[in-house]
Amino acid sequence: MQLYWLDILPILILGAGGLLVFCVGAFLPRRPTWLLFALALATALGAGLVAALKTPTHPSFLGMLDLVAYARFFGVLFMVITSLTLLLAHRYSQARGFAGDEFFALILYAALGMVLVAAATHWLIFFLGLELLSISLYVIIAIRRDTAVVQEAGVKYFIMGAVASAFLAFGIALLYAATGTLDIQASLSGWPAGAPLPVIMIALALILVGIGFKISMVPFHLWTPDVYEGAPAPVTAFLSTGSKVALFAVLVRLALNLGEPAWNLAWPALWVLAALTMAAGNLTAFYQTRVKRLLAYSSVGQMGYLLMALVAIKQGSLPALLFYLAVYALMDLGAFGMLGALSETREDLDELVDLQGLGYSRPGRSAILAVCLLALAGLPPTAGFLGKLLLFWAVIKAKFIILAVIGILTAIISIYYYFKVLVALYLRPASRALQIPRLDFGIGLAGATILIAIVWLGVNPSFLLGLITNISAILPR
Amino acid sequence: MVFMNPNILLVVIVFLPLVGSFLALATGKNKRLCRWTALTFSCIELGLISFIFFLDPQPHSGPTGIWLLAVDYPWLEVLGARFGLSLDGLSLMLLWLTAFLTVISILISWEVIQDKVGSFHFYLLFLEGCLMGLFMATDLLLFYLFWEIQLIPMFFLIGIWGHSNRVYASVKFVLFTFGGSLFMLIALLALYVIHGHQTGFYTFSLYLLAQTTLSPTVEAWLYGAFLLAFAIKIPLVPVHTWLPDAHTEAPTAGSVDLAGLLLKTGFYAFFRFAFPLFPGAARASIPLLLALGLIGMFYAAWIALAQTDIKRLVAYSSITHMGLMVIGLGIMNVMALSGSLLQLFNHGISTSALFVMVGMLDERLGSRDFTQMGGLWKKIPIFSAFFLFFAMSSLGLPGLNNFVGEILILIGAFKVRPVIAILAFIGVILGVIYILRMVQDSLFGEAHAEHNFEDLKPREIFILVIMALPVLYIGLHPGPVLKLFDSSIIHMLQQVPLLAQNF
Repeated sequence: MQLYWLDILPILILGAGGLLVFCVGAFLPRRPTWLLFALALATALGAGLVAALKTPTHPSFLGMLDLVAYARFFGVLFMVITSLTLLLAHRYSQARGFAGDEFFALILYAALGMVLVAAATHWLIFFLGLELLSISLYVIIAIRRDTAVVQEAGVKYFIMGAVASAFLAFGIALLYAATGTLDIQASLSGWPAGAPLPVIMIALALILVGIGFKISMVPFHLWTPDVYEGAPAPVTAFLSTGSKVALFAVLVRLALNLGEPAWNLAWPALWVLAALTMAAGNLTAFYQTRVKRLLAYSSVGQMGYLLMALVAIKQGSLPALLFYLAVYALMDLGAFGMLGALSETREDLDELVDLQGLGYSRPGRSAILAVCLLALAGLPPTAGFLGKLLLFWAVIKAKFIILAVIGILTAIISIYYYFKVLVALYLRPASRALQIPRLDFGIGLAGATILIAIVWLGVNPSFLLGLITNISAILPR
Repeated sequence: MVFMNPNILLVVIVFLPLVGSFLALATGKNKRLCRWTALTFSCIELGLISFIFFLDPQPHSGPTGIWLLAVDYPWLEVLGARFGLSLDGLSLMLLWLTAFLTVISILISWEVIQDKVGSFHFYLLFLEGCLMGLFMATDLLLFYLFWEIQLIPMFFLIGIWGHSNRVYASVKFVLFTFGGSLFMLIALLALYVIHGHQTGFYTFSLYLLAQTTLSPTVEAWLYGAFLLAFAIKIPLVPVHTWLPDAHTEAPTAGSVDLAGLLLKTGFYAFFRFAFPLFPGAARASIPLLLALGLIGMFYAAWIALAQTDIKRLVAYSSITHMGLMVIGLGIMNVMALSGSLLQLFNHGISTSALFVMVGMLDERLGSRDFTQMGGLWKKIPIFSAFFLFFAMSSLGLPGLNNFVGEILILIGAFKVRPVIAILAFIGVILGVIYILRMVQDSLFGEAHAEHNFEDLKPREIFILVIMALPVLYIGLHPGPVLKLFDSSIIHMLQQVPLLAQNF
């Protein structure tokens, strides 16, 4: 059997790049940070370019990996996220003394995990990709060894991740037992007569719990604020965008492939979970006084909006969902990234009070943070507005009016806490002098990219929307 | 080039202030340069809009309805949203008002604003650009875009340069207006989807969406959502509570923009969008509108009588005026409608002028409490004369602008609903009482000995004179302005035949 290695070139590049970074770290004396960073960035950009430009010759690799446009879209998106994370984290990690080979290489391996998860059409590959992603994340969350909070966050994420994996493994095993196949599509639809539906539903519920942990779906979201708060800000940015987008890619794949009787049982549950996630995330964020916790709950709320669109997935909400996933990744990367860029070396900026006055003393970074917050709040002319518009359009078109109204109500609540951060940034006098590092090139470049992308996608998204519509057109409904 | 296609002007009018705003931000380090940049751009803008008056475009029928000038460019093809701007007489008047008041805002802030000058002018001009777009948009998505964006500059104008309780006021402002708008967004999307289901063709064009057939229940719900959003902006009692706070805390330029322009957006949107889109529900809501307008007039007048802070009093008087305009809207005949639309302009000028003067007083006195004033006429006669003039304009002295609008609304109302007209008339009288009380307590009576301050400077006199000119012009010769509305009103009454019962 002929293997089409070139079809999975992005994955190969990522794997090799990670290995190379490790080797440089192991064999070169003094482990030059710039070289490690440059190699990692080149790997991510290279893989992204290949994924974007080179059309695979086959629709699938060994029946394990999806190579069609859907997987490619996510592949490119992950490489954008990874590149931006690397840019945001370079000086940050250097100043805080954890810019070693393990950091950069593990970011690449986490990215590889994301690509595998989003592309997997086989449960085993999915599980392996997820474990690769999770194990890399366990390490980079706890990478800063001089702070207890960071260690705590790492342990928490590890325990939660292990539990989630256990649920997933059990769910997959049950599904395998019930359907006799590990192929994702075959296991989810077209069951032979007499396939035990209750077992399948239990298996799906367990899988949903496992994924729910990872995407901070209510009620499995409680780890989110602690981990987000503890982890170094650029890592939080990576975690809150990359891993969530990857898991959502899977969730969408599962929902699209899920056959008729099971989906009819599944969507009411998703409906409730979406409403709960939107409400709980936004309501809890309302009370936060620490920015990272606030953004953590806000990202729970954002997951709720995405889940809301997932409910309507069979009625054609996929383009809206994909668009919002991409926009969400940019917004959250920008928000957490700029928080990291505005932080003192000793510990990350966290109290709302400490943000006061930064809008004037650090206008550039604050402006990007402000635009990201406005986008998260869904104000025009940002991409956040257009994304929300598309989501609500899709949901209303599918006649889930009550869900849309719940979504709007929680969005109104969310305005308050996003503006709370803006008030601190621009409306209050500085509380104390902060020793904020100078703006470096990497953060400047990443910030400018995010800013331009958010505004551009908000005003003229035709290109991305066209692309996404084409991607959605070839997927099963 | 412009002569060949005057329609391009509409696009220029929207984008010129936006360009100016970024230039002002860039020149922020040099305060003088920044102020002159902003002033230049706002004057060019005003000139451009005045130029349209001289072009005197005639209404003609286009793909988006009957307008004086219109452009319609592709924008978001996937969604069926287009970059559609159209101009009729009403829009033209509001554009002129916006440009005029922006010039005034920049002039009055010339010396008061010394802090963060660059961002201040950035927000002012940015707001101007958004409002220009809002008053011309005929694509609902484009309209919604401008409708939402304008919140952000206003939030910062109140929040950064406002008075002591500014953060509370600005956040309240944002939450109220944003909350209402999101319900409008849902209704907008619902209408969009329903139209799409009916015709198989998704569009945000006002012209096409107005042809959607809706069941009465759906129509009522959708109209209700629009009503909520617009009522908050106007503001109608009981969703008015953000306004006094916002006004009290806003800097003078903020109050001018708020009273003169932002309040107009709600009323304009009613006229332009809510009525044509949901004629049946709008007709059913006329008693509600009349009731809300009357309640607003009486309630706000009653509260105004108890105020001792001049700025708060003027803010409540704003609510009274808006109440009368809503009554005019609810009466729905040509006369009352013309009166209401004219009042939009009058209220914009008179109330803004009062806010400007209150701001000048505050700079001198350090207080806005008129029990602390008294005898100003003896000390600062020029100021007092202008103050009296604008106060008279606000209470509707014949020969000044408000009289014309109010009398049109009242006579128009009397023709069809005499009871409403009489009640509204009593409301107007209440307005006279509190304005006169304010004038008496501040300008006349015993002077406080410790107050010692100078009269108006030439710059301030200049501002007030140019604000007084439109007041006199409309008071003495309202014909040309009223003629502007003819096409708008006839257009709407034709567009919405259900509404034309009183016509």
